[in-house]
Amino acid sequence: MPAVTVVFDQNTQALGPLQEAAYRLIGVAACQIEQADTSFTCTLHPQAGSAGDLEALRLRFLDIVTDENLRAKVSAETEGVRNVVLALAFGALARAQAAPQVEQGKGE
Amino acid sequence: MSKFAPLEAFAPSGAADLQLLPLRFERLSAGRYLVTNIVGDFLVLARDDLDRIAALDLRPGDGLYEKAFSRHLIAPKGRVGQLQLLALRLRSRMAFLREPTPLHLFVVTLRCEHSCPYCQVSRRSTDRGLYDMDESTAMRALNIALSAPPSSLKLEFQGGEPLLNFDLIKKIVLAAKERGPRRGKQLEFVITTNLALLTDSILAFCKDNGVLLSTSLDGPADLHNRNRPRPGGNSHELAVEGIRRAQEFLGRDRIGALMTTAEASLERPEEIIDEYVRLGLDGIFLRPLSPYGFAVKTKWIKGYDAARWLAFYRRGLRYILNLNKRGTHFPEFHAAMLMQRLLTDRPLGYVDLRSPSGAGLGALVYNYDGKVFASDEGRMLAEMGDRTFELGDVSADDYHSLVLSDRLVDLVGKSLTQCAPQCSSCAFEPHCGADPVYHHATQGDALGIKPLSDFCARQKGILALLIDLLDNSPDDAAVLRRWVAP
Repeated sequence: MPAVTVVFDQNTQALGPLQEAAYRLIGVAACQIEQADTSFTCTLHPQAGSAGDLEALRLRFLDIVTDENLRAKVSAETEGVRNVVLALAFGALARAQAAPQVEQGKGE
Repeated sequence: MSKFAPLEAFAPSGAADLQLLPLRFERLSAGRYLVTNIVGDFLVLARDDLDRIAALDLRPGDGLYEKAFSRHLIAPKGRVGQLQLLALRLRSRMAFLREPTPLHLFVVTLRCEHSCPYCQVSRRSTDRGLYDMDESTAMRALNIALSAPPSSLKLEFQGGEPLLNFDLIKKIVLAAKERGPRRGKQLEFVITTNLALLTDSILAFCKDNGVLLSTSLDGPADLHNRNRPRPGGNSHELAVEGIRRAQEFLGRDRIGALMTTAEASLERPEEIIDEYVRLGLDGIFLRPLSPYGFAVKTKWIKGYDAARWLAFYRRGLRYILNLNKRGTHFPEFHAAMLMQRLLTDRPLGYVDLRSPSGAGLGALVYNYDGKVFASDEGRMLAEMGDRTFELGDVSADDYHSLVLSDRLVDLVGKSLTQCAPQCSSCAFEPHCGADPVYHHATQGDALGIKPLSDFCARQKGILALLIDLLDNSPDDAAVLRRWVAP
């Protein structure tokens, strides 16, 4: 069964985006990720019936990894803001839910 | 001396004064990206521009800064106004959660005189005793429905063919009208019927009690009758006659129709739409087959994949947009719903396209035998032997025990798109939804493996099409905007 291998340097590439990219590629290729001392080796096995152009598959995987790296960066940088927005949106609901119990506690 | 600081004082001087807000992006084609913020405001950008936003490489006046600012992708550091606005909008978009379970479906019989090969409910043709709901079951179900929190409830009668048990529908409607107001409920009633058994006395009852009708119409006679066989081969004739009588007797807006796309429909979207226009129906919902019941058994579900259905949808929507541009107001309802999501913050609780899922939280289904299901599709699966979505029984449960059951909480929690693999980072997610029953049925997993999901492919395909029209086709965009006018 033909496969294509892509190697990443661990100094410049995190594992998480590779796993996300492998997930997005399900249906086109199965991706096996192996970790060595300084590298991640991704072996892409095209699914039966998908186009057999291994170079196109390699480029597509690289594109997805590039997207996933940017997603990881944006997600890390905006996590705090996202939590603030969610707290502003739904924090009052949690307070409203907690309030009756507090009142009940006071009366006892 | 001026009371106000000069304009420049309000403008950030560079990246150090800006913060990135949560955003998601999706590659539409080589070099073109859809970028959305936390409430789904969107931009289509080149990769370089996306990278510049992510790096905050922006300055007021450069065009991209203004685009990113207006879509709430960036904000001045330390200002909370924009965050408060996003929070308010997010809360408004999710407000459907404050009114749980507004829809209650009564499967009053599983019997039907049609024998549709794509029937998703696995109708039966015999034995009234086995497949009709009885009165005590119906009244228990009604009690549960009237216990749901919303002040407005919709009670929908389903089958099989519900008119085969019309006496029970009458009893439920009359009892609901007596009990509902005492519990502060406004009620809406809908009968989902093929209209073949419609009589003047049924119409009179519907008129007297404000009952709406919803029917099935798959297109011109040959296509409809092929999809929906019945003794006499006259399903289309009876449906058309029933639609006309209902329009005349109840009013044009008191009857609607739904179509289902069979493989034979794929090359005929224009004829199907023309049939709806000819009959004066107020729009069309271009729907694919669902993977339940006889649609699976007869293998009709394998007749086409998501790509072929999307081609059909694109062709149909193009035809509908052109009709509208010539002056006929005729929406495609799925597109209209998505436009509401894309262009407004009005909450859209449509049970099949929301997260948390509409299963149980959007609707409860009372089956003819008293079993209660989290969704209509859940009871369809049960007829196929899979009772995963059965929540309880009207004889033993009440509203709270059903909606707070471990099974439902687990199901809804498991299927949240907000934290699902791929969905959580998908730019379409704010406009999409969870469909745990579909994914359980097709993949054996309520969450679903989205890269393999036809549901995901269809939603992304339609949303990408609509966004492209909004961005690049002003005439089409004007029509689409009219469909969401309040």
